[in-house]
Amino acid sequence: MKILIIEDEKELAKSIVEYLSEEKYLCEVASTFTEAMNKIDVFNYDCILLDITLPDGNGLKILEELKKENKQDGVIIISAKNSVDDKIKGLQIGADDYLTKPFHLSELTARIYSLIRRKQFNSSNIIKQDELEIDLWAKTVSVNSEPITLTKKEFDLLIYFIGNKNRVLSKSTLAEHLSGDFADMLDNHDFVYAHVKNLKKKLSDAGCEQYIKTVYGTGYKWEG
Amino acid sequence: MKNLLQKSLKQLTIFAFIVFALSIPSYFLLVDWIWLKELDENNHLIAERIENEFNEQNISDEKLAENIKFWNEIQPVSKIEYTKQPLAQDSLYTIRRENSYATREDVIDRFRGLKTNIKINNRNYILVVETNVEETEETVAYIAMVTLLFFLILVVGFWILNRRLSKKLWQPFQDTLQKLKSFQLNSQKQIDFQETDTIEFAELNATLDKLLQHSIATYASQKEFTENASHELQTPLAILKNKLDILMQGNDLTERQYHIAEEMNKALIRSTRINKNLLLLAKIENSQFDNSQLIGFDTLVAQTMEGLQEHFKEKSISIGSDISSDVEVKGNSGLTEALINNLIINAIRHTASGGAIRVVLSKSGFEVRNSGGQKLNPDLLFKRFSRMSADNSGSGLGLSIVQEICKLHGWQVAYNFENNEHIFKVTF
Repeated sequence: MKILIIEDEKELAKSIVEYLSEEKYLCEVASTFTEAMNKIDVFNYDCILLDITLPDGNGLKILEELKKENKQDGVIIISAKNSVDDKIKGLQIGADDYLTKPFHLSELTARIYSLIRRKQFNSSNIIKQDELEIDLWAKTVSVNSEPITLTKKEFDLLIYFIGNKNRVLSKSTLAEHLSGDFADMLDNHDFVYAHVKNLKKKLSDAGCEQYIKTVYGTGYKWEG
Repeated sequence: MKNLLQKSLKQLTIFAFIVFALSIPSYFLLVDWIWLKELDENNHLIAERIENEFNEQNISDEKLAENIKFWNEIQPVSKIEYTKQPLAQDSLYTIRRENSYATREDVIDRFRGLKTNIKINNRNYILVVETNVEETEETVAYIAMVTLLFFLILVVGFWILNRRLSKKLWQPFQDTLQKLKSFQLNSQKQIDFQETDTIEFAELNATLDKLLQHSIATYASQKEFTENASHELQTPLAILKNKLDILMQGNDLTERQYHIAEEMNKALIRSTRINKNLLLLAKIENSQFDNSQLIGFDTLVAQTMEGLQEHFKEKSISIGSDISSDVEVKGNSGLTEALINNLIINAIRHTASGGAIRVVLSKSGFEVRNSGGQKLNPDLLFKRFSRMSADNSGSGLGLSIVQEICKLHGWQVAYNFENNEHIFKVTF
């Protein structure tokens, strides 16, 4: 899997590369508009992380260029501009996702995971782990071919875990993910515990092995 | 309070009154002086005429004595008396006595008299001529009446002129005042003052214009600063956040280190949110949002409440709602969602476990009620970073954002405390 990170902030690019490399992703970094244009001209990527504000040009131009050349690379815009207009414009031009800085790397990983999944399997998109089967399109989950019903949040949580396999996910990070992009948020993170507990219970009741492990007392990890 | 012209009118009236009052004795003295002077002249003429007429008769001394006697009888106002010693000089006097011609006896009249020497048939006589003069008090009364009349005309004139002047003369001032009243600093719109040919008003307008331009520029740069500052903070915050993410994945992390990292993560998430909210506030103030979309308010409320179900459960808050369907408003959908979310989250945050929240939506407004102990200070409630409770977990900006969003949409947000319930009401 090849990922191009178009980001002018060196430290940010470095962190993303470090985090993603563990996922067996092959990362390349372009820190300027010109560099990025040269790279996308020559190579194809599974996913491109695109910062809109670059020192020598607007990232949206790169997106337009990609679409003009009919390239199939998935694009996630990562921007410090939390402007709704930019978001809508980006998605209209053809970005697959939009993430506002600052974000958690686990959030980014989950998004990349879903994006690559969507791009790879166009008709059916099923994730399998031993007895567990998740249909990303139909949003259904089954254990040993027996379907189980999850709430929207539990399903969301499950995908987040799968997208961040073997990673430590802290309660606050999960809370931020589940709360979405609200302007104001509650700092009480106990609801995360309730959701994880329910998910664990539903999975184990259906005979699924316990993949979700509690680490350091308050963090979680999906082992698999 | 009185208006400016009213105030000057009072002063002018007092001044006019004093002048008019002083004019009464002056006029009187003048008129009286003229009167007396004219009468003295008149008396002299009469005396001369009498002298001449008696001399022209050329009658004998006996006849003359008879005639003078007769004259004195029929002319009580002029008396002729024989004298051996003529007067050293004429004498003038004023006397008050009964008028012998008057029908009523008790009427006292004023007379001006002249005592002079005349010669008839070369014999010296003293002639006394007296003419009726208007009484002092009558003269004063007439003058006072006329003066008062003019005084009244003057005051009424002032008053009428004043009203017309205050409309016409002060019109540019009123115009400036109206424009200043409707001026809003955050709308960033310059005021165009009316052209005026009055120096004072032109000067006032020019000064105000300069002042406003300065304020607008300062305000704009301040807002820009907030936006830029929060924007600039996003990148270092992002770096911190990501480094922390990496740190927490370390295999050799001890549990203690993990907890420290998690605490840092929490603080970082909070500062990120404060920063995001500051940015949002700056953007709303800078009117960077389109507020002309048609929004299904009821759908947004239902969605938000659905999303927050887990938090209601978590705190065992009983939730009631009365939501009218098809409530459509014009506005920005993202901001409206933030508004609903902030109000409900605020209610959840400040409701004790086991409390109650009630959400009401009608065509005229949106209301969130939650149970509570005591009334909060409504002046501080919507201020940035002014926390009303010991719980300082929020960003301290939630209600300020609500207020700004309402301002942008032209809605009203108000806080009330009734029957142990905090009520936040947004009126469309």
